[in-house]
Amino acid sequence: MRTPIAYFLVVSAMLFTVGTVGVLVRKNALVIFMSVELQLNAVNLALVAFSRMHGNLNGQVLAFFSMVVAAAEVVVGLAIIVSVYRRRHSANVDDASLLRW
Amino acid sequence: MLKVIWLVPALPLVGFVVNLFLGRRLGRLAGVLASLLMLGAFGVGLGVLNDLVTLPAHSRVFVKHLYDWISVGSFHVAVDLRVDPLSVTMMLVVTGVGALIHIYSIGYMDGDPRYGRFFSYLNLFCFFMLTLVLAENFLLLYFGWEGVGLCSYLLIGFWFERPAAANAAKKAFVVTRIGDTFMLIGIVLVFLRFGSLDFARVLVSPASSFGIATFPPPGVYTVIALLLLAGAIGKSAQMPLHVWLPDAMEGPTPVSALIHAATMVTAGVYLVARTHVFFEVSGVASAVVLIVGLVTALYAATAALGQDDIKRVLAYSTISQLGFMFFALGMHAYAAAIFLLVTHAFYKALMFLSAGSVMHGLENETDLKKMGRLAKVMPITATVFSIGALAIAGVPPFAGFFSKDQILAAADQTGHVTAWIVALVAAFFSALYISRLIFLAFFGQDRTGRHAHESPPVMTVPLMLLAVGAAAGGLLGLSAVTGKLQGFLSWDLGATAEPARGLSDGVLSAISVAVAAAGILVGFLVYGSGKIDWLALRTRMGSFQRFLSKGWYLDDVYAAVLVAPGKSVAAFLAYVFDRRFVDGMVNGVGVLFQRLASVGRLVQTGLVRNYALAFLLGAVVIFVFVGLKF
Repeated sequence: MRTPIAYFLVVSAMLFTVGTVGVLVRKNALVIFMSVELQLNAVNLALVAFSRMHGNLNGQVLAFFSMVVAAAEVVVGLAIIVSVYRRRHSANVDDASLLRW
Repeated sequence: MLKVIWLVPALPLVGFVVNLFLGRRLGRLAGVLASLLMLGAFGVGLGVLNDLVTLPAHSRVFVKHLYDWISVGSFHVAVDLRVDPLSVTMMLVVTGVGALIHIYSIGYMDGDPRYGRFFSYLNLFCFFMLTLVLAENFLLLYFGWEGVGLCSYLLIGFWFERPAAANAAKKAFVVTRIGDTFMLIGIVLVFLRFGSLDFARVLVSPASSFGIATFPPPGVYTVIALLLLAGAIGKSAQMPLHVWLPDAMEGPTPVSALIHAATMVTAGVYLVARTHVFFEVSGVASAVVLIVGLVTALYAATAALGQDDIKRVLAYSTISQLGFMFFALGMHAYAAAIFLLVTHAFYKALMFLSAGSVMHGLENETDLKKMGRLAKVMPITATVFSIGALAIAGVPPFAGFFSKDQILAAADQTGHVTAWIVALVAAFFSALYISRLIFLAFFGQDRTGRHAHESPPVMTVPLMLLAVGAAAGGLLGLSAVTGKLQGFLSWDLGATAEPARGLSDGVLSAISVAVAAAGILVGFLVYGSGKIDWLALRTRMGSFQRFLSKGWYLDDVYAAVLVAPGKSVAAFLAYVFDRRFVDGMVNGVGVLFQRLASVGRLVQTGLVRNYALAFLLGAVVIFVFVGLKF
């Protein structure tokens, strides 16, 4: 018997919520980054679940794309975080608030 | 020669351009070039005159079409030059007297740092003046009219380093502009009512055909005539817009002679004579011309008596003589007015240039009180000046006698007896102020305190030529009825009829001569005989003397009534209205948005999490919206 699609979606939604809250409440740039990854993986889970439900591979292919792009994005993002840290000796996003009134 | 009439204004224009760009390199040649071009223009003018008189007497007009200037809808203005007796007379005066004054200036302006520029302005003036008198339509005339005003401004303020000269130039420009504005309105009105600006179409005598076909009602003629007259009053320095002319004497003396005596200031007389159709229709306008002229003639003649500056005497004298011309125009004695214009151009240019010669010899002294006995050291200047003085006083056989006598005769013979008597009084004062000038400057005791010297020939030869004109100019028009000039002008201005009433010519002439003689005699007794201490007399009548020398305090009245309120209004507008209200509105808009922004910009915290939250909320709103829709 197949696991109902709703289970996957609930897990996906929970993962996404955890990621979102992490992005909004945490101050450390690295943690925020990890939270963003959590959100991405929640979406990937939903994609794979739907792919299985519909019985074609489009969703799974898209999930792979998403992973590749996420990996690339992590490279760039971490590089930025490292260079910010080198300059300011802090990875706290609230310290980098130059664009304000 | 008629076809090359365009050369007459073109030659001075060439001189203007050449001297403007090369004046500095040409040195003294600039003056020679300018003078030669003016002589050339005069020569062409003579040729044109020669051809014009061969035309049949009933159609002595030739229009040379140069090119279409403006052509918009039904509004067509061409650059056309009109050759007819009136314009040719004016043209010959401008080029003839102008050429002599150019030659004189070669000597007078020698050593001036802006020598070339002086001649370029002088030539530009002649170009505009010739455009004015040769124009075939109102717009081209107005072009010349404003152009001469501009040159007048430039030349009065030629020595602009002196504040007095710069102020006088401004004053002349602003005061004449008052008249010019009225005149422009008049020209617009001409176009609206006649549908054309061409003299050939507009200046047609309506005779008795009012209301028929194209002729507007007489009221329109009156309004247009009065508006044009306002322009003429400004340009010809008539009351009440005369105040600029005495101050204009701050310019170099040849400029005073050419622009502020012989030519430009007579443009008003020319304008009224040219548009005399309007004034013949409108009795009101004619009466206004007559009264303005008469009042000005008397006023300026008395004011001239109180002046100590030799050039200001002559300036008031010019105003007075122009008043006589307007007086004649008001009596419809147009030919007499033009005749006085021509002879006046001779003798007034002569006297101004002689005054310049005196100043040249006395290191620019213009105060009559510091002259005296100059006849000894400057015999030529004294002689020619005396000829001019006799002419303006109206002593036969000098030119002024004939022209002034004809105007006085016309006053009596057209029934304006009161006006005639007032004019005689003005003539008496004319003889008095000019003999005062002569006796104070050239005779009596030497009060100069320096060694005067006679001027070089380049200045005295033009003086002698002008003296010939001042002495013999009367031959042009010995009689108002049969005179050469009057006959020549009759195509334009109508023939002068035999006098129907009043005293006979002989009696009238005798009366004018007696008045002139009385004026000279009084002048001699007070200022020339040495029996009366005129300095003591002057102290005793101090307040009256000041009244005359200030020109009846009219300048002060204008200053109090017009200038001071004008300045306070301007100050109010500049410092209160502009600074508080206009600037306040502009600054207020800026301040308003600054305040709004100071609240609105608080949204931008710079904290990434806040932006992320906003992003999330936005996404949620969109999802809810989309979800509700389906």
